[in-house]
Amino acid sequence: MQESLTIDEKLEPDKKDVIDEGVEAGLSRLTPQKISQVINQVLTKETGPRFKAYVETCMRCGLCADACNIFLSNDRDPKFSPAAKVKQTILEMIKRKGKVSKQFLKDTVRIAHTECNACKRCSMYCPFGIDIAYMMLQVRRICHKLEITPLYIQDTVNSHSATMNQMWVKEDEWIDTLQWQEEDAREEFENLRIPLDKDGADIMYSVIAPEPKFQAGLIYQTAVIMHAAGLNWTMPSTPGWDNSNMAMYTGDFEISARIAQVHYETAAKLHVKKIVMGECGHAFRSVYDVGNRWVGWAMPPVDLVHAIDFYHDMLTSGKIRVKEKYKKTVTLHDPCNISRGRGLHNKARELVNILCESFIEMTPNREHNYCCGAGGGVINCGPPWKGTRMVNSREKKDQIERTGAEVLIAPCHNCHSGLEDIVEHYGVDMEIKFFGDIIYEVMEKTIYQEKK
Amino acid sequence: MKNEKSWDWHSEKKEIPVKEWQNRFNWVEEHSVSPDGEKIASIVNTDEAEFSVCMNGNIWEETFEKAWCLRFLPDGRLCVLASNDEEWTVCVDGTFWETWFDYIWDLQFTPDGSFVAAAVQKDGQYGMSVNDKAWDSFYENISGAVLSSQGTSAAVVQVDPLGQADIEGFNKGIFAVALNGIAQPEKFMNIWDLAFDSKGEQIASSIRKNRLDYSISKNSRIWEKNFQFSWKPEFINKGASVIAPVRQGGKWLLFKDSVPFWDKSYEQLGKLAIHGDGQKIAAIVSNAYGKWTVSENDKIWDFHCDSMISELFYSDNGSLLIAIFKNQGYWDVAVNGKPWNIKADKLWNPVISSNNEILATRMEKDGTFFLVVNGKVYQEPFDMIFEPKISPNNDKILLKAMKDGIYLRQILSLEKVL
Amino acid sequence: MHSFINFIMGPMVWISFLIFFIGVIFRLIGLFKQINAKENFVYTYLSFKYSFRSIFAWLIPFLPVSTRKSPVFYSISYVFHLLLFLIPIFLLSHVALLEESMHWSWVTLSDSTADSLTLIVIFSLIFFFIRRFVVPEVKFLTRLSDFLFILIVALPFVTGFLAYHQFFAYRWMVIVHVLSGELMIILIPFTRFFHMFLAPLTRAYTGSEFGNVRHAKDW
Ligand code: HEM
Ligand code: SF4
Ligand code: SF4
Ligand code: SF4
Repeated sequence: MQESLTIDEKLEPDKKDVIDEGVEAGLSRLTPQKISQVINQVLTKETGPRFKAYVETCMRCGLCADACNIFLSNDRDPKFSPAAKVKQTILEMIKRKGKVSKQFLKDTVRIAHTECNACKRCSMYCPFGIDIAYMMLQVRRICHKLEITPLYIQDTVNSHSATMNQMWVKEDEWIDTLQWQEEDAREEFENLRIPLDKDGADIMYSVIAPEPKFQAGLIYQTAVIMHAAGLNWTMPSTPGWDNSNMAMYTGDFEISARIAQVHYETAAKLHVKKIVMGECGHAFRSVYDVGNRWVGWAMPPVDLVHAIDFYHDMLTSGKIRVKEKYKKTVTLHDPCNISRGRGLHNKARELVNILCESFIEMTPNREHNYCCGAGGGVINCGPPWKGTRMVNSREKKDQIERTGAEVLIAPCHNCHSGLEDIVEHYGVDMEIKFFGDIIYEVMEKTIYQEKK
Repeated sequence: MKNEKSWDWHSEKKEIPVKEWQNRFNWVEEHSVSPDGEKIASIVNTDEAEFSVCMNGNIWEETFEKAWCLRFLPDGRLCVLASNDEEWTVCVDGTFWETWFDYIWDLQFTPDGSFVAAAVQKDGQYGMSVNDKAWDSFYENISGAVLSSQGTSAAVVQVDPLGQADIEGFNKGIFAVALNGIAQPEKFMNIWDLAFDSKGEQIASSIRKNRLDYSISKNSRIWEKNFQFSWKPEFINKGASVIAPVRQGGKWLLFKDSVPFWDKSYEQLGKLAIHGDGQKIAAIVSNAYGKWTVSENDKIWDFHCDSMISELFYSDNGSLLIAIFKNQGYWDVAVNGKPWNIKADKLWNPVISSNNEILATRMEKDGTFFLVVNGKVYQEPFDMIFEPKISPNNDKILLKAMKDGIYLRQILSLEKVL
Repeated sequence: MHSFINFIMGPMVWISFLIFFIGVIFRLIGLFKQINAKENFVYTYLSFKYSFRSIFAWLIPFLPVSTRKSPVFYSISYVFHLLLFLIPIFLLSHVALLEESMHWSWVTLSDSTADSLTLIVIFSLIFFFIRRFVVPEVKFLTRLSDFLFILIVALPFVTGFLAYHQFFAYRWMVIVHVLSGELMIILIPFTRFFHMFLAPLTRAYTGSEFGNVRHAKDW
């Protein structure tokens, strides 16, 4: 049913009742006392002056509306503006002192979990800089505490809690995958290695669990890049190798913190100088300014380098050289979590220019880029929500289509999957690639020798 | 250790060329050096998909299809995880364990080296094997394996199956602690941070009871109180009590047996260090956001750093409390609250002399390794330094290092270094 | 009657400002107390440089992309807020009163300028009012209180305008003008008008998180 949805069917997600078993089961267990107790606890005890200031300063001017890709994708339906999401959830909870119905909570889960990508674009459009993403995460915190989090993302968080990775990858499966990739990559370089637990390496490379699970080829590519650049690197054989974190998106801040803690302790144990991480946006956010903060690490305790930054360094220093530039026309999607989230958009453009012959800019871009519609844990809410997610991604679809490029570079796993869904669903003729894919394709496969 | 006295503390310098190994083999993996510094070994590739171990230039007779995790045991034996015919086991000094598995990892050993353990998987079932004796029962999954000094083993195991995206099943609690392979009957939503008592008989751990309630368990008996969160517990008083950092009312506290132990509350209270049976207790703490320090018996050091304290431990007699910390981008050591100020890029835990007076370690700075003794940097640069050792009568130091492709075993007089 | 007018144009003005200042100080102290107790981490990320970078960027008309998306609204809002302060402070009759009682004085607007500026304020408020009915996303957010706020701001300007032109009931206009002006001042610390003081703070924090931590612009 969801698959057959077309652009012309003006589906109104809020009227269409999506059934999410996790939410339904959770709701059925709730009592009015529990509901008001949890809501009031979060709203008065857990949140502070910042939350209050946001509630009290919002002048309901509606200027944030234009910022939101989901509002734009829904033909400017006022219910989808950032401030409207606050009005329909938090303001009501405050007004009713937490005494809200189950139907209200059901709508709340939908709004906070599937109609906000926590992309922070609206903070740049609100004259007060009100952080609606933060507000929506507080709502998700309430849902977490009421145990009405959508099924699939909750399962992901469960995996995080039990295995310290998001896809139930068992400890041996992880190592086995690395060894298997190492073996495969020896086709390219006969003595290539993925050094495991190398104490005192310069770099610890960390990835997100979907890589060993479904896209092990990406580890292969990175191994080739690391090897060709002649780097002293390692990957941990122990939990802590996964830098992703869905718990931060369900408001399970405790598990989120444990994930970040394990990640950094693993790096500290290996005595590395820095952590280089794969092309992922939300994972960067989780270890750069979310999970680490709950542990009390104001900034990453071990230097954290996103793949874009790393590739940029490799290509500008000449450790990786381009044999022949990539020929197809490319455009670039700036993942919110590393453009708005880390200002890497200019380096990303320099990288594109080093690697590719023709680049078509996407508009809006850089800090102002639209989220892919999958971010903020929305895609992780899984199949029940895919139909509404496709509707909520229409603005993104128009934006990428306007570029007319053959290839879309999306240096973030989450964006990648989200954009794949868009391209497939709407039949956009575009290939989606990581920077790693392109570098692997165009690089000179020789080993860099440092001149002494 | 008893036999340290019998080590060669006199030959000033011994050299083993290792660079030439590169010519003999397709490639040579990371070096591992024996505690006495007499042996250096690496996994080497001898042929296509054929590996062996080269020690002091001599190659083991055994070959492997795959091998990883080469480690010298504290008693000087050499140990590697190896595979042939797609089966895996431990190989010690060239001799395989009798039992082979589908996979083996997480190699651990006791401080005297008499017990070697690893996590193992066979036919999709998980357990541990200690000195070639596999657990009697295997489980759906395993994590957080630990080995006590006495050779007892424990891990968190999944005792019930879990379907795809089965959050209800997960809520019921499918994990238990398995001690020496026997899963305890109590099941929990999550179990982390297993800790043995000093006799290797009891297990304490962090427990998540349900979505929101965390607690501490001692032998799977949970404390009465629930907490917002907790970190790793430790045993004190000869295993009679358990202490743990717990979060309550948004603050971190140290609890003992479910009641408050320290008076102060902290922004963060993490890893614990314990001297003896709890005569002295210290913790990595933060008492202002983003600033780290150490609290010893609830008294805070007059010291703080901005990034991280990664390690905290006592010398044997408890007179030295040593922290490895990072401040403004550099790693350093603080002893009883006083920083060395060596500003390292990479830094390892110091070893401590038998009289508890000398600390020796190695650091990397701008790509070069240096020996550091009591905060003083020994100026000779090396390409790599392995863990040093101070002589039993505290007058010499055993330096194991690499320089220009040659492994050096040097005995330096401490006078010269200090 | 005369003494009542004397009271509201004399002591009551000072009382209003007193309440305003005490209210503002009280609320700001409360706010910072709460920050220190619950969210002291914000100081770690707050930076002077990036706070002011953001505040200044947002003060420059049409620099922020947001302002370019809604040029009419922002233009009116900038002018409205500017005049909200300019007119009362530089109005000849206000300054004259101050000179009479306190011997303070400064430059003033000519009556005719002030008159047309007041009209601009009134039209801005009418614009805000109508906008709340016609722009769907704003209408959806609007509550009764939003109209009340517009009304409260409008009253002193409208009555002042009417009083100046002496269209009718001059005396009553003056009374309502003075009282509503005082009401507005008194209400600032206790209502959403307090955004006057919170705005720079929320902007500073967002500006710091964007600039100082995430190395990005927030406009
Ligand atoms: C210098 C301090 C002030 C700042 C920075 C400020 C800022 C803002 C901002 C950013 C908005 C929202 C959108 C916009 O209109 O641009 C706003 C709206 C508004 N402000 Fe202010 N303001 C200040 C002082 C005041 C004062 C003193 C009052 C009246 C007592 C006031 C009355 C209003 C009203 C009525 C609106 C709502 C307009 C509407 O209904 O759309 N402001 N202000
Ligand atoms: S732009 Fe800001 S003040 Fe205006 S409605 Fe949106 S959140 Fe509220
Ligand atoms: S954070 Fe992004 S998705 Fe959420 S309301 Fe703001 S603009 Fe929309
Ligand atoms: S998935 Fe990508 S585009 Fe979407 S929020 Fe994350 S980083 Fe942004």
